[in-house]
Amino acid sequence: MLNNSFFYFFTLSLFKNRKRYFAIVTISTLVIFLLSSVLFLSDSIKYSINSQLELEPDLIVQKRLGGRVVPLDESIVDTIAEIYGVSQVTKRVYGRYYFDKEYSALIFGVDFLDEQSSKALAKLLNREDLKRFLSSESMLVGEGVFNYFKSHFYPKAYNFLTPSGKIKSVKILKVLDRRSNLFSNNLIILPQELAKEILGLKSNEISDIALNVPNPDEAANIQRKLEGLFLNAFISGKREMQKEYENLFNYKGGLFLALYLIVVMTLSLILYQRYSLANSLEKREVAILRSLGWSIKDLLGLKALENIMLVLFSFTLGLFLGYLYVFILKAPLLSELFLGKNLQTQIEFLPHIDYLSLATIFILYATTFLSAVLIPVWRVATTEPKEALS
Amino acid sequence: MVVVEQLNRWYTIDKKRHQILKDISFHVKRGDFVLLRGVSGSGKTTLLSILAGLEKPSSGKVLIDGEPIAKLPDIHLSHFRAKKVGIIFQHFNLIDSLSLQDNVLVPLVALKIGLQEAKAMAERALKSANIAHKSEAYPTKLSGGEKQRGAIARAIVADPPLLLCDEPTANLDRANSLLFIDALHKLHQEGKTIIVATHDPIFDAIDFPHTIIDLKDGQIV
Repeated sequence: MLNNSFFYFFTLSLFKNRKRYFAIVTISTLVIFLLSSVLFLSDSIKYSINSQLELEPDLIVQKRLGGRVVPLDESIVDTIAEIYGVSQVTKRVYGRYYFDKEYSALIFGVDFLDEQSSKALAKLLNREDLKRFLSSESMLVGEGVFNYFKSHFYPKAYNFLTPSGKIKSVKILKVLDRRSNLFSNNLIILPQELAKEILGLKSNEISDIALNVPNPDEAANIQRKLEGLFLNAFISGKREMQKEYENLFNYKGGLFLALYLIVVMTLSLILYQRYSLANSLEKREVAILRSLGWSIKDLLGLKALENIMLVLFSFTLGLFLGYLYVFILKAPLLSELFLGKNLQTQIEFLPHIDYLSLATIFILYATTFLSAVLIPVWRVATTEPKEALS
Repeated sequence: MVVVEQLNRWYTIDKKRHQILKDISFHVKRGDFVLLRGVSGSGKTTLLSILAGLEKPSSGKVLIDGEPIAKLPDIHLSHFRAKKVGIIFQHFNLIDSLSLQDNVLVPLVALKIGLQEAKAMAERALKSANIAHKSEAYPTKLSGGEKQRGAIARAIVADPPLLLCDEPTANLDRANSLLFIDALHKLHQEGKTIIVATHDPIFDAIDFPHTIIDLKDGQIV
């Protein structure tokens, strides 16, 4: 059947049904666009979270009193560093600073003497900037923080109010790369001593201690040892952090589900409409072709080819538009649904695609679509042509 | 060419059997011109549909060129229909969204004939049916007579030995009906076997050799 006269007839058939096919392609493309946009966005966020988790320490030691995290005495660091199987023990100083009712940022103090922090800083700053960062009272800020400062007329420096009531003026040294905005948008990086002053920590106090356990089989054992180190010790690991991130982003799960349901319902409606399109005109045409010598196989071949073209075209176009919308246009509207409005700047979604999910969408979409077309055609074609012509 | 023996066709509706054709037997030799006559409801169209392989008999035997068409699987029956039988329908049954030339091409697509050759064959058939000047026109823009000539072109394009016509003049005026009979006569002279189901009295006046089979209530009388 697949000779050039068949392809000629196939193109004629596509052309003569162009109005109907245009409507089907438009709706299908829209559905694929919505599905792929949601998929691209959630994959990109998941990718960023997982990348961030890889950088996180294996264990974090905190002190909790009455369920509240309180500062730790830094002298405990040496004791922890002596535990066999523990590496890269880091003192961390951080806390949330509330600028007003609407806006807050995370202050993070870095210790240049700490190996990990100095490496991370070296990536962010060149040698000159690093010197300035360490020698003067300056800070690195995320894009959201910078925008907040600018909107409140602090484009070069900001006056922090310390718990003791003093005003602390800190220069803005650099705005962090917007590609890390998912995590750094509302972040302020300061030298550790300066951070302690703004957050109201004493010079011997720290927020928590981060450490790594190179042998994962030892993690549980070390966690037990750490818990016995001092009263009210609270140890959390990457798994807990992963849960926290999931809680942060997965509450949108219901929203995604609703979105998916809408998309699936729309698709079902199209398919139902397509299924019922085996109207008398189409039945008559199938019957004419059958009476002129077309076999059931020929007819199914023609309809399958026509609709495979539609499926491939609308799927590719939908994916392309989805990619454009999420990664080039930064997903206006949809990103707010996913991330909330508290991020006061654009998020840079890193292109990352889960091909398995894409393949699942394609298979579900293509098989449902083709079945909805081919089953009615097969039903008409298998009835006696005379019946359809009468 | 055509052998029909003890052919019966009935439908069962609400558990009641409706006999449409009863014990039909006849033979048609190659090159014969046969008129199947009878009033509406006498079973002419059903008999023609069975001969075309568009409908299966309830019992009996139908051989066309020695082939038991009722027993052929779909793929062989379809090929047989495309190659051996040309059908001219009462309502012409042209596809409105295709030009006349493309309508004529349809049976050749089923026969897997290459596009160049198929177009040449379609052009010959349209010329032969005296409608080549309208080859680019769409059926909705054609008169009844023109549509009928288009239907003839489509029926003869694959050069089938058997032509079946179902009430071919029912939608034509007298002048066009006579032109159609003339066209059939030419095809008959070229050696085609033609079976026409009709109750149009215009066929009573044909002056070339033909056989008449009269049907009444599904039986040959």
